[in-house]
Amino acid sequence: MLILPSLLLALGVIFYPFYEIVRLAVSDVSRFGLVRGFSGWDNFNRVAADPVFLDALVRTLVWTATVVGGTILLALPVALVLREDFWGRGVARTILMLPWSIALSMAAVVWLWAFNADYGMINATLQHWGLIDKPLHWMARPETAFPVDVGIGIIVSIPFTVTILLGGLSSIPGEIYEAARIDGARPWQSFWLMTLPMLRPFMNIAIVLNVIHVFNSFPIIWVMTQGGPDNRTHILVTYLYELSFYLGRPGPAAVVSLVVLAIVFSATAVYMWLREREA
Amino acid sequence: MSRPLRSVLSWLVLSPLMAVTLLPFAVMIATALKPHDEVLSYPPTWLPRRLAWENFRDMWDTVGFGQAAFNSVLIAVAATALALAIAVPAAYAMSRLPMKGRGAYRQFLLVTQMLSPILLVLGLFRMAAAIPFGDATMADTRLGVIIVYAAYHLAFAVWMLSSYFATIPADLEEAAWIDGASRGRAVLSVFLPLALPAIAVTGIVTFVASWNEFTVALTLLRDPSRLTLPLKVVNLVAGRYSVEWNQVMAATLLATLPVAVVFSLLQRYLVTGLTLGAVK
Amino acid sequence: MRQGWKWLAGACAALAFVAPQAARPAQAETVRMTVSFYSAATGPYFEKMAADFHAANPGIDVKIEVVNWPSLLQKLQTDIGGGTNADVSIIGTRWLLDFVKDGIAEPLDGLMAPGFKERFIGPFLKPGQIGGKIYGLPIAASARAMYYNKAMLTKAGFPNGPKTWDDVVAVAEKVKADGGNGFGLMAKGTEVDVYFYYALWTHGGDVLDANQKAAFNSPAGVKALSLYKSMLDRGLTEPGPTNYTREDLQNQFKQGRLAMVMTAPFLINQIAKEAPTLDYGIVPVPTGTTQATYAVTDSVVLFANSKVKPAAMKWLDFLFTAAPRITFTKGEGFLPTTNDEAKDPAFTENERLKVFVNLLPNARFAPTVTGWEDTAKAVTDAVQSVYLGTATPEAALNAAAAKANQSLGK
Repeated sequence: MLILPSLLLALGVIFYPFYEIVRLAVSDVSRFGLVRGFSGWDNFNRVAADPVFLDALVRTLVWTATVVGGTILLALPVALVLREDFWGRGVARTILMLPWSIALSMAAVVWLWAFNADYGMINATLQHWGLIDKPLHWMARPETAFPVDVGIGIIVSIPFTVTILLGGLSSIPGEIYEAARIDGARPWQSFWLMTLPMLRPFMNIAIVLNVIHVFNSFPIIWVMTQGGPDNRTHILVTYLYELSFYLGRPGPAAVVSLVVLAIVFSATAVYMWLREREA
Repeated sequence: MSRPLRSVLSWLVLSPLMAVTLLPFAVMIATALKPHDEVLSYPPTWLPRRLAWENFRDMWDTVGFGQAAFNSVLIAVAATALALAIAVPAAYAMSRLPMKGRGAYRQFLLVTQMLSPILLVLGLFRMAAAIPFGDATMADTRLGVIIVYAAYHLAFAVWMLSSYFATIPADLEEAAWIDGASRGRAVLSVFLPLALPAIAVTGIVTFVASWNEFTVALTLLRDPSRLTLPLKVVNLVAGRYSVEWNQVMAATLLATLPVAVVFSLLQRYLVTGLTLGAVK
Repeated sequence: MRQGWKWLAGACAALAFVAPQAARPAQAETVRMTVSFYSAATGPYFEKMAADFHAANPGIDVKIEVVNWPSLLQKLQTDIGGGTNADVSIIGTRWLLDFVKDGIAEPLDGLMAPGFKERFIGPFLKPGQIGGKIYGLPIAASARAMYYNKAMLTKAGFPNGPKTWDDVVAVAEKVKADGGNGFGLMAKGTEVDVYFYYALWTHGGDVLDANQKAAFNSPAGVKALSLYKSMLDRGLTEPGPTNYTREDLQNQFKQGRLAMVMTAPFLINQIAKEAPTLDYGIVPVPTGTTQATYAVTDSVVLFANSKVKPAAMKWLDFLFTAAPRITFTKGEGFLPTTNDEAKDPAFTENERLKVFVNLLPNARFAPTVTGWEDTAKAVTDAVQSVYLGTATPEAALNAAAAKANQSLGK
């Protein structure tokens, strides 16, 4: 069958590691990944009692909601403008797609440097314009560091989202606008009553893919703040990584993996259910 | 609204976002061209006092840039090819052939798409290390990374392709059958040309995702001669006693520029690929 | 140079000794070594040593893999889990206990040539011994002291550097009045906990008690952290310490923008290279009630699953002879770990380095106990929350102690 290879590959590369994770979660695992023995719910209890984990769980939801929400809110008007025919549209498109071409990890490195309190160009420019009188310590406090993380998350998600929405917009035949205008519809009316509903499937796909991607997004927060200071920019995947590879606790890290997987599965289930209901 | 007015308005609306988009590039260029002693000068300035082109040469040597770029290209191209080779038939089947369990398969895809490799990284490495390859194991091989990338991008590719394939009217192929073409022939001569833009778009997205990937490569690759560009760049910053920011930015710039150029050129096709979709 | 010739002679002698064996059609053995990245010189140094060693021992190839510190634990973890680890590796000595518990590290006593053990400086070898056996050889050692900017401190009335914490506060106040940053306070990246321990130890406190339980929340600990916090609140440190890693502070110091910072000897090398005109001095960590510093070693271990143990030991033996050691320690800015290298004028005639060496009798090493990493993390979080103003020193340290005790000794 045509889909068999895809099934095999996906199953192999996903289910065996999954089995390993489950095994680690219920085992007493040494810092160096050797399984010392069965430990039942020990790792689970440990994680459940960990305030950093609970914090990171909440923050993950905030992170996903704000990044995806912000991305959609920005990408929609951008896509609408880019659909218009104007001088230099090609250039504008190209510029807005540029962040796509930098690897996420590298982009985070560049932003980290740009936000450097002493030598970074952001403080230098803001000072030059007289907007601030002394360097701001962006990454020193979670109150500023986390919004910076979110902002960068939004910027790097825009190109992909705009592309999908543009594709969606161009699938709407121009004639219906023509017809609507003849019928006396105002521009915002045709936006609400025609563009948005027809864009809906594309919006859905953009939201779902972004949620998946942002929920699991690791490099931005990892490179910019490593979850700090005081653990207050951790999301689940960065915390999981720190647990596993910095604190040498593969067992609890595997538990966090499972929790994230559980959330992902239930989110998928809810999404499926919504789609079923709609159909 | 007249075109000039519309143009001015459009640019006005887009300009804040563009400024933010271009900022990292400006930072990269400015720092990459600063001499070593000026990078950490305080207060910092945008313009270097002299253009320090030697940063690129120094960086090339210390990073091993050529080899890393080769690794990145090799891995991204091979992963994309592998993913497409498997995804195109699957997507075709999804959109054309009636089969049992299509819904289940779709669901399965969505779930696999949701599993970021980082959640399974430890398991992935253990698996790679358990598969013999040559006189060692799949761990620390580029092939291992290629297979993992292909597997994780598969879901997206199938999903994306099958949505596009569904918009290509089946009548065209059916017409070809009536004209006496075999099913395979119809696919090759009628379906594929129409699907090409979608395949290209999916390919680009997969390529970029592989090119950008960090976590799997970080976990699987060890030998300095096999590391990809993102790894090399982050290695320059993380855990060093001193960070040579000018070299870091030079490396980032050089790693990004070719992709940015290719992207700018293909960008037109990227959007048309999405817009073409169906037969006019 | 003289050392170089001596070494060359030694290499020739070794070659003559090995030659008959090499003449046998023996299969070449490969020894793989994982090396942590200390500086840009680390990779080239080990490559060169490997080539020199191969020239003397044609039957043995040494393959070097250089890894950054933050990736090292991860690499070891995945490699060991997958059974693809190298034969020898540099590790943080604090990980050694886990290595031994899991049977990953091979005890070296039986494999070491006679006299090998005696080459090491006693206190540095001790952390590598567990249960009376040697598992780790100290390849890198360092201690901490305070660097001060001479111009700034002279202006503040302390031309010979601060001796006590009161001096530090007095200096910082003067520096602040001149618009500068007085005391460098780090609260980001690795060793945030250690920076707090400097003050903890010198106020008479300790990190763990005799039962290996958390003791850093003692009155001395609260006093130490309150001292740092009050300096921060009074503007006597650089603003926003949670933004500054040790490297950031070192950079500020090199640029003459920071009056005082505590760090390792390798800053001497960096200043010589990057800021040769900077006039600075080095004094012991300031005292509160006692004198103390932090000493840390990195160890080389031999993996128990290595198939080329004798060859690997030969390589280690070579690495720990005088000439390779001197090149390494000098190049990286560490402290000598073997007696022979310590005699080299590079170390005996370096006044600045001597400050560090003289501190060693009062040095504290990270204890070999499981859960040390978790303790470091808990203390780091506590310190950060205090600087961010979300917790009092006492509350933060107590919470950290409770957290650390969950992992200590388990």
